[in-house]
Amino acid sequence: MKLKLIATLISGATVSLSALAQSGPIRIGVVTPLSGTYAGIGQQVKWGLDMAAKEINATGGVMGRQLELIYEDEEANPAVAVQKAEKLFQVGKVDFLTGTVNSGSTLAVGQVAERNNRLIATTVSFADSITADKCSPNVFRVNARAGMQSAALAEWMASTKPNANVFYLGPDYEMGRSTVAAFKAAAEGKGAKTVGEVFAPLDNKDYSPFFGQIRSARPAVIYTSVAGNDTVRLFTQMAEFGLSRNVQVVGASGTVTSQNLAAIGKAADGFVTGVGYSPSIDLPENKKFVTAFEAANKAKPDLYGADSYGVLFFYKAAVEQAKSTETDKVRAAMRGIQWSTPQGVKTMRAGDHQAMQDMYAVRVNSGQFEIVGKVAANAAIGPDTCSKF
Amino acid sequence: MSQVLEWLQFVLAPQMINGLSIGVAVVLMALGLTIIFGLLDVINMAHGEFYAIGAYVAVAILGLGLSFWWALVLTPVLMAVLGYVTERGLIQRVFHSKDRHTLTLLLTFGIAVVLEDVLKIIFGANPLRIESPISGGTELLGLFFPNYRLFVMGLGALLIASVWLLVFRTSLGAMVRAAAYDRHMSASLGVPVSRVYAATFAFGVALAGISGVLLAPIYSVFPTMGRDFVLIAFSVVIIGSMGSIKGAVLAGLILTQIQSISSLFISPVWNDPLLFGIMVLVLMWRPQGLFGKLGHA
Repeated sequence: MKLKLIATLISGATVSLSALAQSGPIRIGVVTPLSGTYAGIGQQVKWGLDMAAKEINATGGVMGRQLELIYEDEEANPAVAVQKAEKLFQVGKVDFLTGTVNSGSTLAVGQVAERNNRLIATTVSFADSITADKCSPNVFRVNARAGMQSAALAEWMASTKPNANVFYLGPDYEMGRSTVAAFKAAAEGKGAKTVGEVFAPLDNKDYSPFFGQIRSARPAVIYTSVAGNDTVRLFTQMAEFGLSRNVQVVGASGTVTSQNLAAIGKAADGFVTGVGYSPSIDLPENKKFVTAFEAANKAKPDLYGADSYGVLFFYKAAVEQAKSTETDKVRAAMRGIQWSTPQGVKTMRAGDHQAMQDMYAVRVNSGQFEIVGKVAANAAIGPDTCSKF
Repeated sequence: MSQVLEWLQFVLAPQMINGLSIGVAVVLMALGLTIIFGLLDVINMAHGEFYAIGAYVAVAILGLGLSFWWALVLTPVLMAVLGYVTERGLIQRVFHSKDRHTLTLLLTFGIAVVLEDVLKIIFGANPLRIESPISGGTELLGLFFPNYRLFVMGLGALLIASVWLLVFRTSLGAMVRAAAYDRHMSASLGVPVSRVYAATFAFGVALAGISGVLLAPIYSVFPTMGRDFVLIAFSVVIIGSMGSIKGAVLAGLILTQIQSISSLFISPVWNDPLLFGIMVLVLMWRPQGLFGKLGHA
């Protein structure tokens, strides 16, 4: 009798618990760098996510449930990111996870998600491998990858400087070598000639010894993928040595950002890069987004802020189509789904979980990024090379 | 033919001038090292950190609202005081021991480790930027060169020449050379040897400090900034003969030219291996270095 009562109580409790889980908030974990080198990027991620969650919750949430964001600082360190993600899945019981910045963190957290049978999406990481040879059935990417950025830039270069002589200068590590290789392939495919390439150590202080090879190669275009403070030094020294006169400088989307633009100053003018977002995209949804973002955060959104804002609408669309938050159903819904973002409608390619979107070539002009070219989503995305699912 | 001339003018010449501007800075560092070694027989492992402190002193002086030029004048004075105190308070204590070479090497190495961490604690590990006090560039015969680097080259050459005159053309320099040649004999002739030692060490440290200030706007300022730079200076001193002023100047200029010109054909990341390779060869074939020794020159 007593036993039966307890059994009833327990089963009653489980029923009400699961009922609670279905009606309580949907928990979304955010593992992102809130301190350290990438704190500036983490800030944009947080601004974008907070704004999207507020908008979604104000208009009735997702299937009537509110979104709840739980932040963890990953310090741009894959080892820390793994621990924090594990904690969010196991203890925080989050339904979905996003926010990773460093490509290494995204790959590592993707493995944690596979073990926990949950889904993650990155809104920042560029490395092509995340949705190519190292793709995972549990990992989606809503932002543009490095290959798409190269495609947009190569297209712009081919139309403004056809068959140009290009010199490549990259930072001497994985990211630098892969971005140079990717852009070189894209540019040569469109007729550009390579006249030299050289790699400088990360955190290099003096680029002047590298200028000799550039002078002797006489390029019309210099491509670089240095980032952060390295860009500040490289661009300042190139200007000081008169090297950027009569040469078009182009580069990776991370080379000049709103974070180092002020420090580079006038030396950044004329720089062109390929990106998936610019505040000056001429779409009504983007104008609305930029106005609201600036009002809320007293700062302009960059690509990280915009894509992090968009990811919650991606998740919302998938959950509403699946009518569930269960991993398998949501994954099935995410494949091929279309959702609207500040950049317009994006499509999640089913084969490799890479979002397809229009790409832009943007030029720095007195501290502003202005759009100078556009490549359609289909032309920019490149082949699906994921073979894991 | 015109192509060759054009290459010489627009590719080789700027690279050599740039090598010269780096060379002058390297020579300034190497001079301090070689003078301290030539006189005190001390290998100053902390020389790179004194160079870093020079740069940070300039950061602090600029932080007080004074101009870069004040920093350039005040830093060597403050660094000389620091050098004098270090020599009197620390190096003198182990200087008269039988294991002088080992002890001073370990002592200055210890000072280097401590100083680097002190800088980290006070100023943080992130690089700080000093705005270049002279902006813009000069165009000459179709060559474009930053004004500040031209200034560093000019002032550096002036400093090197002054050091040369001071050591070889003044009675002060004669005392220093005498003490280096035979300190017992000099002492009995009335040269205040221990004060000459401290003053020479202070002078070497001041040279490191002024190099730090001069190069801060080019390389930016960070706690480990002395580490790579002092390795180059050490190689220059070893190749040019430990203790030789002429050797430091000539080796410094020749080696930086080799680095600059080779950078046209191979990646500049090979500059350091190239330098160390030359050093190994010199040590194998002419271990005393290419030139003479202070006091014997």
